[in-house]
Amino acid sequence: MKMKKWGVLAVSAAMVAALGLFGCSGGNDAKPADDKKAEEPKTEAPAEVTLMKDGTLTIVSSPDYPPFENLENGEIVGFEVDLFNAIADKMGLELEIVPLQFDAIIPAIAAGGQGDVGVSGFSVDPDRAKEIDFTESFYIDDQAVAVMDSSSITEDNAAEALNQADVIIAVQTGTTGETFAQENFPNATIQGYGNSTDCFAAMQSGNATAVCTNLAVVNRMLKDAYSDARVVLEIATGEEYAAVVSQDNPELTKQLNEAIKALKDDGTLEELTQKWF
Amino acid sequence: MLPAITPAIRLMPPARRALAALAALALAAAMVLSAPLSALALDTAKCTARPNGNTGSEVYGGSETRLTWEGQADADEPVAGLSITFPAGTTFSTDDARLTMLSGEKLMDRTTIDAQLASDGETFIATFDEPLPAGAYVRAEIYEVTFPTSGGEMPIKGTYTLEDGTTMPVEDITPIMVEGVSPVDQLSKALEESDWVKAWNSNKFLRLFFNPSIVVSSFPIVFQGFLMAVAIVAVAFPIAIPIGLCLSLMRMARLRLLRGIASLYVNVVRGTPLFLQIYIAFFGLPLAGIQIPSFPLGVVVLSMNSAAYLCEIFRAGIQSIPAGQTEAARSLGMNGAQTMIFVIIPQTVRRVIPTMTSEFILLYKDTSMLAAVGVMEVVMYAKTIVASTGSITPYIVAACFYLVITLPLAKVVGRLEHRLAGGRPRRKHRPGAAKPLQGTDSAGVTAYVTDALTSQPVIKNDTADAGR
Repeated sequence: MKMKKWGVLAVSAAMVAALGLFGCSGGNDAKPADDKKAEEPKTEAPAEVTLMKDGTLTIVSSPDYPPFENLENGEIVGFEVDLFNAIADKMGLELEIVPLQFDAIIPAIAAGGQGDVGVSGFSVDPDRAKEIDFTESFYIDDQAVAVMDSSSITEDNAAEALNQADVIIAVQTGTTGETFAQENFPNATIQGYGNSTDCFAAMQSGNATAVCTNLAVVNRMLKDAYSDARVVLEIATGEEYAAVVSQDNPELTKQLNEAIKALKDDGTLEELTQKWF
Repeated sequence: MLPAITPAIRLMPPARRALAALAALALAAAMVLSAPLSALALDTAKCTARPNGNTGSEVYGGSETRLTWEGQADADEPVAGLSITFPAGTTFSTDDARLTMLSGEKLMDRTTIDAQLASDGETFIATFDEPLPAGAYVRAEIYEVTFPTSGGEMPIKGTYTLEDGTTMPVEDITPIMVEGVSPVDQLSKALEESDWVKAWNSNKFLRLFFNPSIVVSSFPIVFQGFLMAVAIVAVAFPIAIPIGLCLSLMRMARLRLLRGIASLYVNVVRGTPLFLQIYIAFFGLPLAGIQIPSFPLGVVVLSMNSAAYLCEIFRAGIQSIPAGQTEAARSLGMNGAQTMIFVIIPQTVRRVIPTMTSEFILLYKDTSMLAAVGVMEVVMYAKTIVASTGSITPYIVAACFYLVITLPLAKVVGRLEHRLAGGRPRRKHRPGAAKPLQGTDSAGVTAYVTDALTSQPVIKNDTADAGR
């Protein structure tokens, strides 16, 4: 009696699972070519941009990264927001911003369904490029390390003083700042946080010795909120900022690149850079 | 195959070194004759490889990394070319490689160096289109560097060419420590290349959610987080029980002040999200000058939170015991404390065990929230792998680590509830009468038993009547 019940349950569960899988695989097989390479899946329908919502460019962003994007009076503002408003204008689309934690954005864009473009101060990186496509870059930034004023670490000894076992460096998970800190300060503890504001809060509260993130962000954070902290190390990593697009959507990347190029040519990009940095 | 190649490679560097030394000598001689002295060296400022594990600072063999070398040329050296030689068995690519000149007071001004890049298998060779200004600070970044899977100390050698064609060795390159590839990673790699996995991964859904090679590679990493989560909850829950019990007794106390304090605490804690409490504790307390390491602090926050819920569970349990029990115990001469300890609480325990187990499950799941403040538990580890692989699979692995605990416990809760509701299994264990309640003897009164199923008091000992 009991055995039978279990059997029925197992069989029905298996069937539901199988149905689910078939449903998904069917939906997916239709789109990309059967090839394992996802790079150029859509050869049959070239000039068509797939957008999540018709007429709307949905960008996914982690609004904790001033001056690129952050929340001000409940609204997401920043350099990249302005830039993508201009880009959407150029493309004749409405702009919609979906907030998402930084380290979830690339997986979300790769998987699709949450947005069309990931715009959150992404540095162009060949490793990342395996999962998603980058647009043309629109800003170049460097890394920086900040500590509280009370810290004994100074500009002169920063390179060695940060690479000590008792040093905790707060970083935002999934950022180039995280890998930079891991690579260059292997002896220190690299503590990951979900967003960059938490990194600074952790440093201020003494949970971390230093914060390592992009220079423009450090400068803005110190200026706006953490006047009792200072920059001890700047490294010219020359990271190019770009937006990320799913590899299944090369046409969108192409159109975004055209729009970015047009904005570079007509001076809008320069204007926005002046405004925000 | 490898041993055959190795001697050939081993032979090369000394030859080159001899040549370089010769050239250096000649140049030195020329310099001495001509003008000011110089140290003649391209000093390495740093040489590092980017961590390529899923977490931490380690560089592993067998998977791609990026090598960054930086060096400072002497004040009178116009560098025109650079070569970097990797140890045998290392592969790399000249694609994406970047050469940058850094200048300015803090080396914050970048100039991209245009160069012809070439590779002869183990040496990366860059020939600059134009010689750099003398005394330049150069950075080279080489991508897709894969060190041998065996790991160990990887010596990196380099040479540089000056404007006049002389070639000299780059000095002081610290070798790169490369970790060997663990069996798990090897298995993961083998899976990644096997045909069935490729077929499996060609389905986007399966690749994103159930990528076999990521399941294998993330398992041991997420397992560390699992141990952490279990440790947190294993410490936090036992702490929460006595606190919760005290709170519940306070809530039922006759003293108004005690009642007030307890209900204020319970209402505030239950009325605010745990997430917020964690943030306040982790970012607020240190600001107030209280420094607590994250593990004990996480344990404290979770147990304080859980205590509030347990308080309500205990209170409900105690209040569900019929008043007749207290009255009977008191009439037998027990004082209030004795009644509570020997009569009420033992009955309560049986009733609250299912709800407590549910609370344990909740608490275990809530450990995931500590990820937000950097406690390395299940979700935190999964998150870092998701960030580096772009696959959702580690989250699925993490889910399994929660289910391993929660599913069996949920089953236990179901069984306990069944028993409490007067389920059948109880009858089998019942030889005749209910078990005597422990502890009553020490109270020096008649054995007084309770049927746990119905909570109806049963007088087992007939002498009770005789005593009247």
